[in-house]
Amino acid sequence: MLRSSIQKAAKVSRRCVHIGNTNKAAVAKPSAEQTLLEVYIDDKKVLVEPGTTVLQAAALVGVEIPRFCYHERLAIAGNCRMCLVEIEKSPKPVAACAMPVMNGWRVKTNSEMTRKAREGVMEFLLVNHPLDCPICDQGGECDLQDQSMAFGSDRSRFTDIDFSGKRAVEDKDIGPLVKTIMTRCIHCTRCIRFASEVAGVDDLGTTGRGSDMQVGTYIEKMFLSELSGNVIDLCPVGALTSKPYSFTARPWETRKIESIDVLDAVGSNIVVSTRTNEVMRILPLLNEQVNEEWLADKSRFSYDGLKTQRLAFPMVKFDSGELKAVEWEDTLKHAAQALNNANGQIVGIAGPLVDAEALIAFKDLLNKLGSEHVYTENAFPLSGSGIDIRASYLFNSKIVGIEQADLVLLIGTNPRYDAPLINTRIRKSYVHNELDVALIGPKIDLTYDYEHLGNSASTVKDLISGSHPFNKRLAQAKKPLIILGAQQLKRSDGAALLAAVQQLAKKTAEISKVDASWKVFNLLQEAASQVAALDLGYKPGISNLKSLPAKVLYLLGADDSDVLKESIPTDTFVIYQGHHGETGAELADVIFPGVTYTEKQGTYVNTEGRAQQTLNAVTPPGYARTDWKILRALSEIAGKTLEYETLQEVRKRLEEVSPNLTSYGNVQESNFIAQATELSKSVKNNLESKPIDLKLKKLEDYFMTDVISRSSVTMSKCIQAVLKQKQNKYYDGVEK
Amino acid sequence: MAVRLQYATRIFPIFNLTKLHRAFSTSSCLKSDKPLKDSDVIAVESLNKSKYPSVKESKFSDELIYEQPFIITDISGVPEEHIKERLVRIAKAPKNAMQSGTNNTNVWVLQFDTRQRWENNLIGWVSSGDPLSNLQLHFNTLEEAIAFCKKNCYPYFIEQEKSIAPKKKSYAYNFSWNKRTRVSTK
Repeated sequence: MLRSSIQKAAKVSRRCVHIGNTNKAAVAKPSAEQTLLEVYIDDKKVLVEPGTTVLQAAALVGVEIPRFCYHERLAIAGNCRMCLVEIEKSPKPVAACAMPVMNGWRVKTNSEMTRKAREGVMEFLLVNHPLDCPICDQGGECDLQDQSMAFGSDRSRFTDIDFSGKRAVEDKDIGPLVKTIMTRCIHCTRCIRFASEVAGVDDLGTTGRGSDMQVGTYIEKMFLSELSGNVIDLCPVGALTSKPYSFTARPWETRKIESIDVLDAVGSNIVVSTRTNEVMRILPLLNEQVNEEWLADKSRFSYDGLKTQRLAFPMVKFDSGELKAVEWEDTLKHAAQALNNANGQIVGIAGPLVDAEALIAFKDLLNKLGSEHVYTENAFPLSGSGIDIRASYLFNSKIVGIEQADLVLLIGTNPRYDAPLINTRIRKSYVHNELDVALIGPKIDLTYDYEHLGNSASTVKDLISGSHPFNKRLAQAKKPLIILGAQQLKRSDGAALLAAVQQLAKKTAEISKVDASWKVFNLLQEAASQVAALDLGYKPGISNLKSLPAKVLYLLGADDSDVLKESIPTDTFVIYQGHHGETGAELADVIFPGVTYTEKQGTYVNTEGRAQQTLNAVTPPGYARTDWKILRALSEIAGKTLEYETLQEVRKRLEEVSPNLTSYGNVQESNFIAQATELSKSVKNNLESKPIDLKLKKLEDYFMTDVISRSSVTMSKCIQAVLKQKQNKYYDGVEK
Repeated sequence: MAVRLQYATRIFPIFNLTKLHRAFSTSSCLKSDKPLKDSDVIAVESLNKSKYPSVKESKFSDELIYEQPFIITDISGVPEEHIKERLVRIAKAPKNAMQSGTNNTNVWVLQFDTRQRWENNLIGWVSSGDPLSNLQLHFNTLEEAIAFCKKNCYPYFIEQEKSIAPKKKSYAYNFSWNKRTRVSTK
C-alpha cells in the first residue's frame, strides 16, 4: 500500500509543486514568498514556511514517510525512528518527524540509506513483537503489519528458536473499554501523549529502560477518562484494542457506513462498522469542524445498547393492563381512533434522539389533528426573543471558534461530560493558544486549570454591573467566549439567566472591543434533536405538562421519567413511539416501534446549527419502522394524510420550513444577535440566589444519559469500574 | 454542455448484444424472467436518432461526443426499482481512524443505500436481496463519479470533502519554558 504511494509520487517527480497547488496544504500560504524555504523532496521542489518538519514538507508533495510515533494531533516524540530519511550531505539519516527543514535541503525518502534505516528499525521492532497477527484484533488495520510488508526485510535474522529471549510483558487492566496486550507494544508513546495532552489525564506513562521499558499506569488502575477509547485508534499495533469489540469481527469483513453520533449535541462524525446486520463497532470519522479525529466513549462504546431493550413489535395495552404485540394495522387503527376522538386535545412531546424528518412529520400530523401542543423535552425560555432568533439557542462561534478564543467563560455547564469533544477543543486551545478559562458553577475537574468564580447565578449580575474583579480580565480579552449550559434553562429563573448572560455577552463584546463578526454568546445544547426541533417551531420544555388539556399524549422518543410519571393524568391515552422500552413505553397504551440512529437516514442539527445526516447502516429489529414513515401511515389512517411519501419529499418539506435543515455539513451563520439581546432586556432580571448545579459532575455520571446508553451493558460496566477505582486506596481523591 | 464520454467505445459493443442484455442481468428480482418481446429490443439506429440526437464525430476517431448526457438505463437491464428508488452517496474515501496511512483516501467512493437484510431461516446467515449495497465504486475524480450516476440515472448526493486544518508543530515545543505544551515526563 505504502510502496505504491512512493511509486505514485515518483510519477510526478520533476514537477515543481507549490504549496498553493496542492489541496493537502498543511501550511498556510504566507504573504511574501521570500520568507519561504525551498526544499527538495525526492527532487521535487516544495516551498514551505520556516519551522516545517521534513515529514510535513514531504506530505505536501504526496510523499508519505512511514511513522509509528508521529501523529498529526499529538506532540512530536521522535522515538520510533521509523521516519528516518537521508538528507544530502548529511552523514547520518535524520528523523523526519522532528527535524525542521533548512533552505536548499535535498531529502531522499527512497534512497539506499533510507531504505536500510527503515529495514533496520523494522527488524528491531519485530524482534520483540509477537507473531500473533492471526489472533490479533488489529490484524488487517495494523500499521506495523503494513509497514513491515512495505519497508521490512523479507527474511528474519531472529534465530531464537528455543523461545528463550523474546520479550514478554504483563498485560495491564486499565478498565472495561481498553484491552491491553502489552507484549505487542512498540513504545511509540502515542497513548501516553494522548492521555496527557488531549484527555488531560496523566494516568499513562513509562517505567523501566531499554528492553525493560513498559507502558502502563505504574500501579494498576483504571484509565479514568471519558475519551479513553481514542487510545485504541492511536495505537499503531494491537497493544491497545477495544474490549467490547475483541474477537468479534475483522476489519475487511465489515461494511463501513459514515454517519453521525446523536448521543450528545456535538454531532460527531462516525463510521459505523456492521456485519451480519449488527453494529460491530463505532469509530470516529475525521471532521476538523466538529470532532477532529476523536470520539467520546459514550458514543463509541454504547452501541451494544442498540441491541438490548428494543421495542420490536407494535403493541397495545389490553383491558387487563398488559401490553401485547399486535399487527401494525390494528395498532395504527387503535391509535388513530384515539387521536380522532381527542378533538384536538393532543399533546406531543419529542425526545432527545429524534431526527428532523420525524419531527416535522410529528408536528404536521398534530397540527392537522388540531393541536398546537408540540413540545421538546429540553427547556428553553420563551420570554425575550424566545426561539424566534436562532442566535439565542446556538453555539454561535462554532466549535472551531474556540481555537481562536483567548478567554472562555463557562456558565452552568461541564463541557467535559456534556460535550466531551467541545472540551477537547477548549483544552487544545488551553495548551496551544494560551486560552484562559473561568467557570461559574460547582467546582469540577475540567482537565485544565480554570478560574472559579463561585457557583452563584448572581455572579452574572455582578459581571454585568462591572463590580466583579473578573471584569478586568474580560476587558483585556480580545476574543472572549461565553458558553452557557442549556441545562440551566430548566431552572425556575432560566429566562432571567439566559437574558442576563445575553446582556453579559453584549457588554463583554463592548468592553473588550471585539470584531463585529466575533460572537461572544454561545449556548451548549445537550440533546441532538433540540436545535432542529426549535428550528421547526417546537415549544420547548414540558414543565407545564400538568396544566395542558391532554386527552391523548403522544411521546416521540420522550423518556424523561422525572416529569412524565408524575404529570400524566390516569385517563390520558398515551402513545409511545420510540426504539427503547423505558419510561415512555412503560406508560403507554399504544407502542409504535421506531428505529435508532444507525437504522435510518435522518437529519440532525448539532449545537452549532450544523445539519448533518445519519445513514442507514443496519435493518431495524422485528417490525420496527422509520419514525416519519410510522407517522405518515398513522396520518393516512386517521384521515389527515400528510403530503409526503418519500424521504426526498419530507426533506423538501423541511426545506420549506427551514432551509438550513437540508444544507448538510454547513452552518448557517447565526445573526440578529443584537436584536436578541435587545429583546432580552424585556425579561425581568431577578436571578435567584440558589446556586448553579450541574447534572453531570463526575465521570460515573457521564456514561448513562439517554435510552441507548442506559441499556448498554458496556456503559454500566464503566460506571462500576469507575466506582471501584474510587474505592482504591491509591486513588488520589481528586475528581477525575 | 458537451459531455465527452471517455469510454464510449467500450460501451458501444453492448448495443449489438441488446437482445442478450437481460440474460446478463444481475438483478435479484424475478421480473427479468419474462420472455423478451420485439418492442423490448432497441435498435442502435433508433437510439441514435430519437434519444441521442446530437451525437457527433469527434476529431479523435475512437471517441464520440454527446451533447446530452449519455444514458444507458434503457439497455443496461437494471430493473427500475434499483434505479429510481436508490440513493447513491458520493464521498471522498475517509481515512481509517485506526491507521496512519492515507494512500487509499485519494479516491471518490460511490456507495448505494443499505437495503433490508434478514436472517435466513435455513442456515441462520444474514441474507439480502440487494445486489448493490455491497458494491463500492472508486473514481479518481468527483466528475467521473457524477457522470456515472447520470449515465445510470441514479439519484445521488455528494458529501462535502473534509479538509485537514493546518498545524504548526515543533519538537522544541516539548521543552519550551513559557508554554503549556511543555511535557515533564513520558
